Amino acid sequence: MIIDQKKIDEAIDTIVAYGGEYIRECVQCGACSAVCPGVRAGFPLLCRNLIRHLLNGQLEEIIEDSSSWGCQACSRCTEVCPQGVRPQEVVFAFRRYQANQLAFSTSSVTSQMNLFETGHAVYVDPKEARKKVGLPETTPTSAFDEQAKQEIQTLINNSPMGQLGLF
Amino acid sequence: MAKVGVYVCHCGSNIAGVIDVEAVRAFAETLPEVVIARKDLFMCSDSGQEMVKKDIRDGLVDRVVVAACTPRTHEPIFRAAVEKAGLNKYLFEMANIRDQGSWVHSHDHEGATEKAKKVVASAVGKARNLEPLEDTFVPVTDAALVIGGGIAGINASLALANMGHKTYLVEKQPSIGGVMAQLDKTFPSNDCSACILTPMMVEVNSHPNIEILAYSEVEDVSGYIGNFQVKVRQKQAYVDWSRCTGCGDCTQKCPSKTPDGFNCNMSNRRAAYIMFPQAVPKKAVVDIEHCLNCAGREIGTLPTINEKTGRPILAPCERACTAEAINRSIAFNPQGAIKEIEVGAIIVATGFQVMEKDWFKEMAPASPNVVTALQMERIISATGPTEGKLLRPSDGEKPHTITFVSCMGSRDEHFHNYCSRVCCMYMIKQARLIKEKYPEIAINMHFIDVRAGGKGYNEYYINARELGINFFRGKVGGMEMLPGEKLRVLAYDGDTASNIEYESDLVVLATAIELPKDANVLAQKLGLQFCGSNFFRELHPKLGPVETAIEGVFLAGCCQGPKDIPNTVSQAKAAAAAASAPLSQGKVRIEAVISEIHPEVCSGCGICIPLCPYHAINMTTYADRPRAQIEMSACKGCGVCTSACPSGAIVLHGYEEAQIFAQIEALTA
Repeated sequence: MIIDQKKIDEAIDTIVAYGGEYIRECVQCGACSAVCPGVRAGFPLLCRNLIRHLLNGQLEEIIEDSSSWGCQACSRCTEVCPQGVRPQEVVFAFRRYQANQLAFSTSSVTSQMNLFETGHAVYVDPKEARKKVGLPETTPTSAFDEQAKQEIQTLINNSPMGQLGLF
Repeated sequence: MAKVGVYVCHCGSNIAGVIDVEAVRAFAETLPEVVIARKDLFMCSDSGQEMVKKDIRDGLVDRVVVAACTPRTHEPIFRAAVEKAGLNKYLFEMANIRDQGSWVHSHDHEGATEKAKKVVASAVGKARNLEPLEDTFVPVTDAALVIGGGIAGINASLALANMGHKTYLVEKQPSIGGVMAQLDKTFPSNDCSACILTPMMVEVNSHPNIEILAYSEVEDVSGYIGNFQVKVRQKQAYVDWSRCTGCGDCTQKCPSKTPDGFNCNMSNRRAAYIMFPQAVPKKAVVDIEHCLNCAGREIGTLPTINEKTGRPILAPCERACTAEAINRSIAFNPQGAIKEIEVGAIIVATGFQVMEKDWFKEMAPASPNVVTALQMERIISATGPTEGKLLRPSDGEKPHTITFVSCMGSRDEHFHNYCSRVCCMYMIKQARLIKEKYPEIAINMHFIDVRAGGKGYNEYYINARELGINFFRGKVGGMEMLPGEKLRVLAYDGDTASNIEYESDLVVLATAIELPKDANVLAQKLGLQFCGSNFFRELHPKLGPVETAIEGVFLAGCCQGPKDIPNTVSQAKAAAAAASAPLSQGKVRIEAVISEIHPEVCSGCGICIPLCPYHAINMTTYADRPRAQIEMSACKGCGVCTSACPSGAIVLHGYEEAQIFAQIEALTA
């Protein structure tokens, strides 16, 4: 790995611009990774390791890595971080960078499509299960509310997500 | 018949966790002349001591044995208790069943208990034969010597002088100030080093109780606490300091150039020089080794006379000196002069040196752009060779990338196993000073780990990260010299487990702090010992951090071990307080456990004299014959002379023959 200050600056400036503004505070203690369900599930570039690669200026080198999409947004990393780095913000900032470069993980595309079509990122058809226990088949959410769905799609189409050409 | 009382201590679970205390107590009861054997959870507690005192007051016992921990820390406590109860304090004996029992035999409870019984029996054997002894007192010279004029010596001197003691401050360089005078700014508050140091140097110089002996070294020390005789060699300056005004004119005119040690040899000074602009005392010195003897003006010769003018032809330095402080016609003694002083206490504050870069062959020491951190201090200092401009040595260009490498010679079994304690912080300091001034310079710092323990230190480190200084966990493995005086840095990032490589313009090595070689010479003169890290050994690592094994000799600063300025100042003030104790008392107690020669038995062979590590024995005349005699205030009671005397003429009080044979008998029973 070549250490190049220009690349370090580019990586840090990018992450800061996308909302990971405390990345420089990291001392690599690893507390974030210790509590991260994504790390536990085996995603290699989350929390501490993601931050280290970024601090080394390895922004482009890891753009195709799908680990960041394994973040469950539980925020435990931010809760335990002793330096106030707010690691989850760094992960999300990196995701935003990836998305803007159209470096989506395939695993995340389904969620995006679900969100656009139903208003839920994670969606399972509930009708069968509800019928079994004697509940009305549809739920009072956007999934079965055409007006709400249209509003969500209008919002997404007018957000940066809409410019990604996914939908 | 003696009435021996034995008191066995549990020391909480320290002893009782391994040794069967009740068994030892019961055994002690069976020993001859033992009248009472008791036990307590903590014998050193008030209640434990009271138990002993009560038995003495009640007339039950007249010899006391406490079986507990080490006499090194606890003998004085029990002696005091015994004395308070009205018994001579030397009628007390300690049996160490903790350090030499439960601690070293923690896995063998039965064996440890049996050993404890033997140790107690031995102590009882000795106690039965103990004789009362009396301490004596000797008067004290109310003056102190401080050796070394760095920040430690300066603070120790000021503290002593402010307490009213006459203080001699000996400094081998022409000016006091030490390494701190070479530093640019100081962590963690970035105070300018000179700004906080110079006022103290001036205060030392003007203090009525302090006499600075600059450009001087301790030649010889004799005597003992309260009464040291010290010979100080005042080196030959070839300048009459009583006339020198420190104007510096001679240093301008002198044509000879030689590397300037104050600038870590990165620039030249003249042979006639003043150490640095804020020098105290501000006096010029002619470095005769590098003097060119201009105009044939060898020292001690008369000048040739100019035939035209009829005036003597003088050397430039002489001509420049309007104060008439330089007169090369004088036959100066190259050895300088000896000044004899008498002091009651001595503080050693001789400081440290940093390792040179040449030790580290893998770090391209041949490159002028690889510098030690002390050289870096001079590079960024306003009084340094570049007047504070950050320029790399090879070509005077501004560097774009700077590398800092930690632990060069520290935490490395090839050199020193210890941590030099200040490197992490001064590296961060230098990096911050550079980054604050030149944000465009890339700074890469390589650490085994960052050690920022100290008030405000970690905050200082975190701020360095915020400034955009790059930190890597992993030491630099090597360096390659590249064309254009650049260096290829070969390092490692432990966090991502990957190798790192880049080109650097300037590399700073944080080389280790170590004791200078000439410290050995001083150690011999004073009888100082060394610790495992090869610094001067303090009396006790926790409880005697400024005292030494030599009574009346104290330590301050980095000569005792690496430390930063706040710790150095603390230790210097502590050493001054400790040194002031005998001076303020006006007398010192001489413990009675010392050797005495019976002149009627002594054959005058003199074997004991060179053996005494304290130079306490000399020859005298007794009944018209030469006989050895011990200066009791210098004797430490080590017993070397006693065991070596072929005539058996020397008795070590407190360890007399009958007492030791009784111990042997008990141990071999």
